[in-house]
Amino acid sequence: MIAPAVIILGLLTFWPMALSFVWSFTKYTGLGDPQWVGFQNYLDLLGDPLFHQAALNTAFFAVTTMAVGPALGLATAILLNRKMRGRAFYRAAFFLPVTTALVAVAAVWKLLLNDGGIVNQALGLFGITGHQWLADPNTALPAIAIASIWQGFGFEMVVFLAALQGLPPDLLEAASIDGAGPFRRFWHVVLPYLRPTFVFVYVIGLIGAFQVFDQVYVMTQGGPINSTLTVVYYLINRFRALDLGQASAIAYLLVAVLAGLSYLQVRLARKWS
Amino acid sequence: MSRAATIGRSAAIRPTRRIWRLSKRATLHLILIAGSLLMLTPFIWALSTSLKAAKDVFDPHGGVIPNPISFDAFHSVFTEIAFPLYFLNSVTVTVLIVGFNVIFDTAAAYAFAKLNFPGRDVIFGVLLVTLMIPSQVNLIPLYRIMVALHDMIPWLGVNTLSGIVLPSMVQVFGIFLLRQFFATIPDEVIEAGRLDGAGEWRILWRIVLPIAAPAIATLMIFVFLNAWNDFLWPLLVSNSDANRTLPVGLTLLSRKNTVNWPETMAGSVVTILPMIVIFLILQRRFIEGIAAGSVK
Repeated sequence: MIAPAVIILGLLTFWPMALSFVWSFTKYTGLGDPQWVGFQNYLDLLGDPLFHQAALNTAFFAVTTMAVGPALGLATAILLNRKMRGRAFYRAAFFLPVTTALVAVAAVWKLLLNDGGIVNQALGLFGITGHQWLADPNTALPAIAIASIWQGFGFEMVVFLAALQGLPPDLLEAASIDGAGPFRRFWHVVLPYLRPTFVFVYVIGLIGAFQVFDQVYVMTQGGPINSTLTVVYYLINRFRALDLGQASAIAYLLVAVLAGLSYLQVRLARKWS
Repeated sequence: MSRAATIGRSAAIRPTRRIWRLSKRATLHLILIAGSLLMLTPFIWALSTSLKAAKDVFDPHGGVIPNPISFDAFHSVFTEIAFPLYFLNSVTVTVLIVGFNVIFDTAAAYAFAKLNFPGRDVIFGVLLVTLMIPSQVNLIPLYRIMVALHDMIPWLGVNTLSGIVLPSMVQVFGIFLLRQFFATIPDEVIEAGRLDGAGEWRILWRIVLPIAAPAIATLMIFVFLNAWNDFLWPLLVSNSDANRTLPVGLTLLSRKNTVNWPETMAGSVVTILPMIVIFLILQRRFIEGIAAGSVK
């Protein structure tokens, strides 16, 4: 019964995974045979200023979205974690963007952030002069990060909401009886209880953030002056330039970083609990 | 203290307390309404822009409700640009991917949960490792494989819809999700089926699937969401309108130097709306499914 699944995964997941690992040590254009070059692709990347920039941009994107997204998600989850009128509506409103295609969302935000778009019009109401957000190398990546946070934090909200509903009420009551105010109850009871949820949210979130591509492809195409070039965007550029060896090496560097980060998070979580 | 005074005092306290509680509630709702509005504005603006004439898009006095309402953008997206085809492709690809995953993931998950065979746990462990590995690792060789497949069999592989479907037919996450659920089904239920002489496929079909309906619904939602919205792989593997999906087709509009905004927003609405409708219908399943997938 596992035969169909194992055969398909073997041919279309494990076999390509092995191939690209081998190719990452070769020069390969897709025509002819791959030429063995040892660690040359990796060394080239580590000395490539454009790759440095892509790595830095990706790290910036991951850090900002992961600093704000889960916090917003937790805040909305706490606000919604009670019996109240309109709860289902609010929850749907916050979650809605999660269900929509990133490229469509990116197209919409490209319109909102346009020179004459409503973001600038709204700022104009407060007497703030408009800005060409996506054309300025200093603001393009933060703008993409904001759009991505808007799109994604509903997921974290739902995950935190589910976890909060499992929080035993006696725990909070006991803390209240001990005289803990809302802030101390949150800090000493709720946060420790949510620790495994945080680990889950951050492991999943970082893996996703490090693969950012769709929004960049639509909103800025890596520009202006490479200020939004990301690792996966660079990988696809190398692929399109028929440098399959180097593209594969980028993919495996990404694997190494993500594996390292995930391991670190699980270790940290164990240490704190 | 006289009784009248006591009553008077508590009556004075009660309204202030009630006002305090009411104002707390009001603040909460105010924050949430403002938040919801911020969340929904981009959608509303996209819809509004899709119904405007191109010259009115950035009119600062244009407002939310287009005046006049123009269906030109939808008309040209559906006639001059191949959106009906993209839509059909998206539906085909999504239905096939969901169908294959229901069959293959379920069968594999059942075997991993309820059958004993040599190497079971090792194979499962190896599969789980792939959950942590970004899909970009596979893209390039997968593309070459699809090119080779296309050379052998012209109606398969690169630049056909099968090129989009094949790599997503089985998903490790789906196997994992269902295995967790199947593990909670008591062995006696399955043993009873075996004693009746039913084969494993029959047991899966007749006994396990009806019990597992909620878990399979969760799987279908996850797979559906990812298949409908998937972008990078369909972008790489399709080179003509005949096999572009909605997200890929949409980027042909949104990446132009001089974007036609009403048309691009009409395309976005066509891409987003089916998902929103399905989400609103299956809202509880969606949210419970995501929560279940995360807690387990």
